[in-house]
Amino acid sequence: MILELRNIEKSFGEKKVLTGVSFKIEGGKAFGLLGRNGAGKTTSIRILMDVFPANSGEVLIDGQPIDYSKIGIGYLPEERGLYPKKIIIDQLAYFAELKGLSLKEAVKSIDYWLERLGMTEYRNKKLETLSKGNQQKIQLITALAHDPDIVILDEPFSGLDPVNAMLLKDVVKEQISKGKIVLFSSHQMSYIEEFCDSIAILNNGVVALHGDLHDIKRNYPRDRLVVRTENPDAIIADFGSACTFMENGNLMIRLSDPCEKKAAMTRLVENYDIDEVKVFEPSLNDIFVEYAGDAAQED
Amino acid sequence: MKQFGKILKFELKNYAKNKAFVGITIFLMVAIAIVMFFPRITALFKSGDTSDTTKDLSVMLVKADDPTQADMVKEIFAAAFTDYNVQITDAEISVIKDKITSGDIECAFVMNGATSFTYYVDNLSMYDVNPDIATGVLQQIYQMDAMIGSGMSPEDAAGVMSIQINAQVENLGKDQMQNFFYTYIMIFALYMVILLYGQMVAMSVATEKSSRAMELLVTSAKPINMMFGKVLAACMAGLVQLVAIFGSALVFYNVNKSYWGDNGIINSIFNIPPELFVYMLVFFLLGFLIYAFLYGAISSTVSKLEDINTAVQPVTFLFLFGFMVVIFSMTEGNVDNLLMQLCSYIPFTSPMAMFTRIAMSTVPWYEIAISIAVLIGSTFGIGVLSAKIYRVGVLMYGTTPKIGNIIKAVWKA
Repeated sequence: MILELRNIEKSFGEKKVLTGVSFKIEGGKAFGLLGRNGAGKTTSIRILMDVFPANSGEVLIDGQPIDYSKIGIGYLPEERGLYPKKIIIDQLAYFAELKGLSLKEAVKSIDYWLERLGMTEYRNKKLETLSKGNQQKIQLITALAHDPDIVILDEPFSGLDPVNAMLLKDVVKEQISKGKIVLFSSHQMSYIEEFCDSIAILNNGVVALHGDLHDIKRNYPRDRLVVRTENPDAIIADFGSACTFMENGNLMIRLSDPCEKKAAMTRLVENYDIDEVKVFEPSLNDIFVEYAGDAAQED
Repeated sequence: MKQFGKILKFELKNYAKNKAFVGITIFLMVAIAIVMFFPRITALFKSGDTSDTTKDLSVMLVKADDPTQADMVKEIFAAAFTDYNVQITDAEISVIKDKITSGDIECAFVMNGATSFTYYVDNLSMYDVNPDIATGVLQQIYQMDAMIGSGMSPEDAAGVMSIQINAQVENLGKDQMQNFFYTYIMIFALYMVILLYGQMVAMSVATEKSSRAMELLVTSAKPINMMFGKVLAACMAGLVQLVAIFGSALVFYNVNKSYWGDNGIINSIFNIPPELFVYMLVFFLLGFLIYAFLYGAISSTVSKLEDINTAVQPVTFLFLFGFMVVIFSMTEGNVDNLLMQLCSYIPFTSPMAMFTRIAMSTVPWYEIAISIAVLIGSTFGIGVLSAKIYRVGVLMYGTTPKIGNIIKAVWKA
């Protein structure tokens, strides 16, 4: 199953929020939707979930317009919140019923998930009596209880302790292995890197970067060298303004052409006391900052 | 439709589990039971009490300089004021005043001649008719004396004074006196229920929004289902409450019917024509729905619970305006004035205005039909519009948007 957003445009009043947003998500793979606050992530998700329509563009499943009566969507919103004063099983059953389950099916599925997440003892308690992390686990059940085809998780790891984060990772991996379409939206790049095969970075309502994460990294211009050395001064004197210090103290040398890297490496190894020299491979964080940072926003 | 049913069920369950809702209903039923049993309870106490009742009566003093006049006035006043123990006094006025202010006696008449008196009382009640009664009685005595003085025999004079006028009233329309009370009660019930449940709908929407449960709800259910489910659940809860309260009143009245005797007000209340109940139901349902939709839509634009009251104020004022027009017209005794006629066709005021006119006056059938048709159309229109506002409103956070902005957003959505 392939979910595709094609040329989505959306304005609120005079303000254009999304401009020609397109991306594809494959079933059985996780997809990271990244962007700074206000970049248009939540609006894209809401259009995908049919909360409001796009001004133009299409949401397609396997090339056909999505039929919301047939495709189940589970959603963990960034703004968490359920009914604080209601019994947990009652409200979970209500949400599952709204998604089309019968009461019996809903209760069966919820009981499974309560047990899976170690929350069975809270089944008949009011939500407000639970800790924040546990409330979040309850919220996760609303996204999964109806066994949806598409799972959308907005900042799923925020507020979870390491043990619960591990539990959630297992659950997410399980969903991916079941062939579901899993869409992540997060600012915690490490999780995105761990799970997501492909990403899209939104910047001011435009897709700034989209594709397979490995390809993105591989195709990243290999025009920078990272040098670990005890004597950077001599190298700086030689390479001049092409050198910058990285956060970890290593030296980065930006080459004018990626073809120069072999010559530059030889020059470094032969002439200077070098502990390590390698081609710079960007982390997702670096890529994000480049495509969604202030410099990118000014473009 | 299935989803709507689930929302309706969930919302109804909320009312059934709402302690305030259940508590108020039971409290009102108990209060009505006490009122309805009141004559039976007082009769129970009265039956054993055979002692001299004059002791319990409040004292009314009569003072006249002429002892014969004092005797005569005392006798006549005793006959006219059966609720008082009338006594003669020759105490000074200052003493009488002290006795009144200390509460020993209730009031006093000091005669300044055959046609003049001063009435002393501690707190002149709004309903104190003693001076009027006294004036009437003294007028009669003066007229009697004058007739006897001019040579008429006392019997003839008494005959002239006590002449009975045979008056007959043939009412071709409705008896406003009789209808006033039940119309008042029904209008008041309508007022209470619409305000109370309108606020409950508003609260329920705003709570879902402020607790962010809305984030999930808007992605799980169609806004039109959410809005209609919520409003219809409130409407049903309101109806159940009304039926419980009026029903228990009817049951307890029938149990104690014999004790109420010929109490005109109570009997008129329980002899409401059945067709009026049907009209009440129609206007209640439509009036309730139109306001509940408005309350729901407006509260969806509010981000914080504390902003609800300010946001719904215009709607409450609109409703209050209709209520005031109706109540003033009722007390004025003219429910067919121009303003009332106008209000009978405006959907926000017609539930109360048209109902009052039907209850207290004679309204042609086609006017009623037009009023109801306009109301049904507007209720449906406002229901759909409010669902649209709701869909846009629930996702708006921050300061409560202006009406113009909401309309623009709904228009463009």
